[in-house]
Formats: sequence, structure tokens, C-alpha cells
Amino acid sequence: MALKHPHVESALRSLEARALPEGGFPSKSGEPFRSDATAWAILPLLFFDRNHPLLGSARARLAQVQAADGSVSVAVDHTDAYWPTAISVLAWSGSPVHDAPRHRGVQFLLDVTGRHWKKEAGDSVGHDTSIPGWSWIADTHSWVEPTALAMCALRANGLAHHKRVSDGVRLLMDRQLPNGGWNYGNTRVFGSELHQAPESTGAALQALAGLVPYQDIRKSIDYLKAEVGRARTPIALGWSLLGLGAWGNAPKGSLGLILQTLERQQRYGPYDTSSLALVLLASAAPGGILEVHAT
Amino acid sequence: MNNLQKAIAPGDHGWTRREFLYALAGGIVLASGITAGGRYLRPRLQSETFVARMNEYGGNLSGLIVEGVRELGLSPDEIRGKRILLKPNLVETSQGAPHINTHPLVLRGAIEAFLQLGAATVMVAEGPGHRRDTLAVYEESGLADVLTEDRIQFHDLNYISGYTVKNLGGQSSLHTLTFPSLFREVDWIVSVAKMKTHHWAGATLSMKNLFGVMPGIYYGWPKNVLHHAGIENSILDINATLKPHFAIVDGIVGMEGDGPIMGTPKKVGVVVMGRNLAAVDATCCRIMGIDPKKVSYLSRADNWLGPIHESSIQQRGESIASVRTNFNLVDQIPAHRGIRLA
Repeated sequence: MALKHPHVESALRSLEARALPEGGFPSKSGEPFRSDATAWAILPLLFFDRNHPLLGSARARLAQVQAADGSVSVAVDHTDAYWPTAISVLAWSGSPVHDAPRHRGVQFLLDVTGRHWKKEAGDSVGHDTSIPGWSWIADTHSWVEPTALAMCALRANGLAHHKRVSDGVRLLMDRQLPNGGWNYGNTRVFGSELHQAPESTGAALQALAGLVPYQDIRKSIDYLKAEVGRARTPIALGWSLLGLGAWGNAPKGSLGLILQTLERQQRYGPYDTSSLALVLLASAAPGGILEVHAT
Repeated sequence: MNNLQKAIAPGDHGWTRREFLYALAGGIVLASGITAGGRYLRPRLQSETFVARMNEYGGNLSGLIVEGVRELGLSPDEIRGKRILLKPNLVETSQGAPHINTHPLVLRGAIEAFLQLGAATVMVAEGPGHRRDTLAVYEESGLADVLTEDRIQFHDLNYISGYTVKNLGGQSSLHTLTFPSLFREVDWIVSVAKMKTHHWAGATLSMKNLFGVMPGIYYGWPKNVLHHAGIENSILDINATLKPHFAIVDGIVGMEGDGPIMGTPKKVGVVVMGRNLAAVDATCCRIMGIDPKKVSYLSRADNWLGPIHESSIQQRGESIASVRTNFNLVDQIPAHRGIRLA
């Protein structure tokens, strides 16, 4: 059940107001189309109203910038920056009209991996560098958030048991910090355990929900439950709520945290579209991002 | 030995055999990479740095920075009416570890100083490497409180659309670099860095700090493209292409040991400034008890992006010897081995 409130409604209206006449969304009002902003903006719209009038044009605009290989890059002149593909696949899910771009996007995700190499004894980094996952940018190493996003996209398309998702599970479990939580994707460097980050932890928990036993991620849940009360910024809060919600651990004060975070735009200025959409998605999908695509 | 050979004899200036051979093959080097290769045939670059004592963050930092700017001979016309972008070092936050990031009061001091010197606008911008939630780092570092109170705008560089230019450094395999479009709207870029050891680069100061200007949307988190292109190569490429205008290094409390995140606080009580980032960083290294000639990217920057030899850097303010505070280096870390200043 979505967390509703007049201020959430108002934020949703402000998101809608950013829509471009030709379809899609900019990162900030007054700027040109951006694929990442558009894909993110679609998700809360989709949950709040599956027949939302902006969905069709936004999805179509996203399909227009999809490359022949199925990828969606952050800009057409930066094809290496293909990380918006996973979010785009989620945005097209549930729309038969967009089956073709969705299938191409899924195939791209199945075909592409980050850069991996055999872990050598005495490596300075703690994680297993050989496990295939997904990278932000072509020809770079796999990291936590792009792997989590790709896993969500594949799971939303009925591929929860695909080998790539299983590898993703292995990668995320390998990157989980010994004291719980995740960061961008390094566990130890030169023997020092690195710090966690709520947004990385939330994204990993969301991707892993239902795929690993609770006790295997309990420390991470505990970490995030302790952190979420301090989160007042959109990406950290949005992913924290989605990750906890996906495991049935949404905090009781979720709506209050969302409202405080929305209010903080008075302090920071208007959030970029992706960040605003993520907070709205957390209010729309208290059970996690895959809930949006469950029916 | 003729004069040219004397001028470029290996060992005199800590050059490696490879650099010496490059110098002898100057014509070939010039043809293949004029930017870095030509440096051996040029007269030595000269620069100035200013070192000021400041034992605590509550001191008069704006006055100190104004004094430094004047000591360094910057004319009022260079700053008056200009749009200044301050680029701090915000990487991530951890409770009880404020020494990871440039202290917010150093930013406040720089803002006040540049406004006092006649700047039209001053803004602060950063694209943290480790955290996707820039605002979280902005908030938890304490910078948000300071800038909100001072009504100074903060820009998140990780998500700003960019413009692409030719890579003028030519050190990595990257043919182009993409900078935030915001940079086209400013006149000065000032690296406001933290004095820290670094487990991949040896030391992170004003030059390495500029990794943070590269938008995450194009370079990933933690700036993956630059890591794959080589950290040292990328530091040189970014600096050669962007050509930043000024550096201020927060060495009031730095970080020693396993920097840039997991190290321990190191009180030095200095602020170091200068127009030339390589010279500023070389001076910082000497203060840290690190030989800049043995920090690979600084050695490669020498006489190309700036001077790093002590004899080529005119020191203003405090002498290096009077403030030198050796930073702990970690034997286990290859980038720390053999870099201690004699």
C-alpha cells in the first residue's frame, strides 16, 4: 500500500511538471532530455497509476535513444555509460507496447558483464574479482549498484533463476562487508575494512530479497535499520526504504522520513529528477521496487 | 659531456633512466607527445607557494587566504569580477572521521577571501567518488550547514551533463575528457584539497583532488574509467586539460597512514596555497616528509605541469623545515614504499 500524503502528492505533481512536451524528462527543469532521469521518473508514475498519461510518451522517448545492441546510455555520445539500461528495462516492464525495446534491453543485460580477473593470492583488495556482474561503464569492473539494478531488471522479467542473476547473488554476497552493509563495492583494501553506505546497502538488499536466507544478510538489515533514521537525503533514504521494505523491515516512520526528505529541498534546492523519483518510489512501493512489477 | 647532456644528466634531479632516454630522444618524444616529452628541453619552470601556520579551524582563515593571495603576487584584476568555483575534497563520511574531507571552515575562509578580493560569485562543487548520494556527504561533512548559512550555492558534479574536449595530457588511453557543463560558466577553478596520504597514489593533494570533477554519470563510482585508465595517468590528463587556476590545501589536520579514507588524523597546522598545483603538491609532500620526486605522478608532472624541485619553487610564508611533520607511511602499501624524504 502506497504511503500517501498531500506533500507526496505535491511532489508527484512537481515531477509530472518536469515532463518534456516531446516525451521524457530532464535531470532538472529547463534542461534537455536525459535517459536516466526519464527511466527513474517512469517508475513512481507507473506505480501510482499504471495508466498514467505521461508513461507512453516517456517510454517511447526512452526507446528512441536505445542503441541497436539494446543498451540505453546516459547520452547518445557516451555509449560506454550504459548503466541506465537496467532502469529502462524496469521502466518498460508491464507495457506490451514496449516489449521489443524491453527484450533488447534484457538481452543486452544478459550479454554484458563488467571486467573481471582471477583473484591472486596477496591481492590488495578483499573481494573476489573474478565473479561476473555489471559495471556502471563499459570495460570497467563490476560494482554493487549496477549489479543490483541489473538483477532487479532481470527478476522483473521472469529471470530470477538465470545464471547471471545467480552470479549477481554471488557477487553481492562476496561484497557484503564483514560488519554488514555494502558500499560501492570494495570490502577491504590493504587489510582495512571499508565503510558502508546506506544507498549501496539498500540497493543490494533489494536485489537479494527472496534469493538468500535472512540470516545471511541480517547484519546488513541491522546496519540499515540503525542508519535509516538519520537519512534525510533522497538517494540514501530512497534505497534504504526500498531495501528494508523488500525484506519486510520497513520502519514505522517511513512516511515521516520521506516527508522530511522532500521538505529538505528548501535547503538544497529542487532535487534532480532521478533523486526525486527515487524518494517517490519509496513512498509508492513500501514493499520494494519489484513490487511495482509483481502484477 | 656537452651542455645539453649536463643539463639532463640522470641523477641530478632524480630522473629515471626512462626519462633520461626520453630526453635524449627529444625529437621523437616531441613528435609523439609534445605535452609531457618537451619538458626536458625547456628551461626549468618556476613557481611560488605560500605556507601559513593555522593551528585550528576556528582561526582567521579568510584573512590567511587573502594574505596568501597577496604574498603570491596575484593582482586584484585577476580576481575582481570573476566567477570562482571551489572544488573541495569530499569523498565519503564516517562518524568520528572528519579528517577524510576538506574542513568546511576552510571552504568558508576561501569563500570570504575571494569575495573580499572582489570575486563576482563564489560557488562550491564536488562529485564524490565513493558515495552516490552526494547530498549525504555534503550534509554529513558539515559543509551544508556552512554553505546554507553563508547562502553559497553547492553543485553536485556527479549528475551534471558534460561537455567533451580532447585530452591534452595524452598520458592515458582516453582520447577525450568530459567535464561538467558548469565549468563553462566559471572563470576560476580552485582545488581546495586535503593533505592526505593515498594508498594508490602515495599522496592526494590538489592535483588528485580533481578526480572529483569528473561526473559519475560518465565515469562511474568510484570514477571507474579513471582507475582503469591508470590513476596517475588520469591525474595528469585531468590537470593538463582542465588547467585549474589555484590551489589551497587544508593541512590543519591531515590524514596519515592508509589514506585517503582509512587513515588516522595528523595535525600539521598549515594551509598551503599557490597558483601552480604541481608546485603546491610538491611543497605539501615535503611538509609531509614525502619526497615529491618519488611520487610518480608528481615526478611525471615536473617541468611540464609545474615545477616540483625545491630550487624551482620560491617559498613564501613559513619555511618547509619549520612546519615539516612526517606522515606515517605503510610498508604494506606499494605506493608508500621508498617515498620518505631524506
